Amino acid sequence: MKDSTIKNKKPLNKIFIFAFWIAIWQLVYFIVRQDIYVPSPISVFIRIRELVVLTAFWRSVSYSIYRVMAGIFLSIVIGLITAVISSINRYFHDLIQPLMTAIKSTPVLSFIILALIWFNSSNVPIFICFLMCYPVIWTNLLTAIHNVDKKLLEMAKVYKVNRLIVFKKIYLPSVLPYFTAACITCLGLGWKVSVAAEVLSHPRNAIGSNLYSAKVYLDSAELFAWTLVVILLSFLFELLFAKIIKKLSVRKTFRGKL
Amino acid sequence: MLEISNLYKSFGNLKVIDNLNISFSSNKIHCIFGPSGCGKSTLVNIIAGTMDYDKGSINGMVGKRISYVFQEDRLLPWATIDENMMFVLESGFEKSRGQQTIDKYLSLVDLLKFKNHYPEELSGGMKQRVSIARAFAFRGDILVMDEPFKGLHLEIKKDIMDYILKEWNKDDKIIFFITHDMEEALYLSDYIYIFNGPPLKLKRKIDIDIPHLEREESKVKLRAKVNDYI
Repeated sequence: MKDSTIKNKKPLNKIFIFAFWIAIWQLVYFIVRQDIYVPSPISVFIRIRELVVLTAFWRSVSYSIYRVMAGIFLSIVIGLITAVISSINRYFHDLIQPLMTAIKSTPVLSFIILALIWFNSSNVPIFICFLMCYPVIWTNLLTAIHNVDKKLLEMAKVYKVNRLIVFKKIYLPSVLPYFTAACITCLGLGWKVSVAAEVLSHPRNAIGSNLYSAKVYLDSAELFAWTLVVILLSFLFELLFAKIIKKLSVRKTFRGKL
Repeated sequence: MLEISNLYKSFGNLKVIDNLNISFSSNKIHCIFGPSGCGKSTLVNIIAGTMDYDKGSINGMVGKRISYVFQEDRLLPWATIDENMMFVLESGFEKSRGQQTIDKYLSLVDLLKFKNHYPEELSGGMKQRVSIARAFAFRGDILVMDEPFKGLHLEIKKDIMDYILKEWNKDDKIIFFITHDMEEALYLSDYIYIFNGPPLKLKRKIDIDIPHLEREESKVKLRAKVNDYI
């Protein structure tokens, strides 16, 4: 019998993966043969090329980035403050907990429609982005704070280590991985819900408003083009964030267990 | 002198310490001996201040600093050995003096060359030695050691015990030492307290009045003396 062990082969080439999915897209296009349902990859790429030379395109992209970032920033700041208070004060935690459950289970569209009544169109996506990301940040940070190793805290207490050092050397390194994970989730989620809110609130400069007009004019190529732009932006921001975090938490690589 | 009077501690319905009265004299090594779960760790945790007690009083602890060798290493996994040592010294030392202290005690436990390594890169025994070095570097007035030599090589264990006898057993310090190893207890202690429980009750206090260096010869006799009470 042949002696066989399964070993991980070399990872797939990224260009191959990209080409594979473009080929699938092209294949679907050949089968459907209707531009209105599935535009061809070529026509979509041509449309993107046409869009990127327009100032209006960059203006829409910049404003959408601003809205997503503002929403995520707000959720981080408020999430951080309320998570810390919730971890210290049981009553505050019990009061805020049902709100988080409610936000998590309410359809995002209900909030968008409400927000349309409450705010002007440009602020609706910021509010929605904040509202959707906030529970993610709060839950992750609270879990992180609860999971800080009690035995390490006890050790610090015995050795009378001052609070600031305990915060810097125990709390911060314990919480950081959860916080990073929460931010990465929010970056994906933030783009999704902000663009959805833009589609419904159609502010003057917004990716979502362009998606909406593409839908009105049944311009599938443009719809696909803008969608690709959103995917690309979300991906780029995740990449950028991962790079920043990596720089912030420089740590030597292990030289193997002794 | 540390005096504990009318001490009570329960976990739910389980009375772990029930009206305990005991005193520990300074300048001595007190070995706490007893079966697992009898409440001896609870007692030292109360003394160290990491656990609250329900009722009673502890006198002689005001302003005392404590060095604690825990059962587990309790090192910060994201910090190097050097940073781990500095963590407990930072509040009270200047940086350069701290560094000298760290080097001194890491040499004692034969780990100076691992100063810039992370705990994950060290074996269990090596991490335990760092925990011992950390406790020594902090130079508390009370040294609590909860099974500190588990998994250490005989030679390094002997070096550390000799260091404790030579350097620590003076200046009004009180040393608490929990162990299950009779050899360690006979070598190091001035008093052996044999407990049972829960609730924690002192069965017998044995005074070992033979000087440490002469104990090798009287080991068999000492052993028989202690074994009678276990």
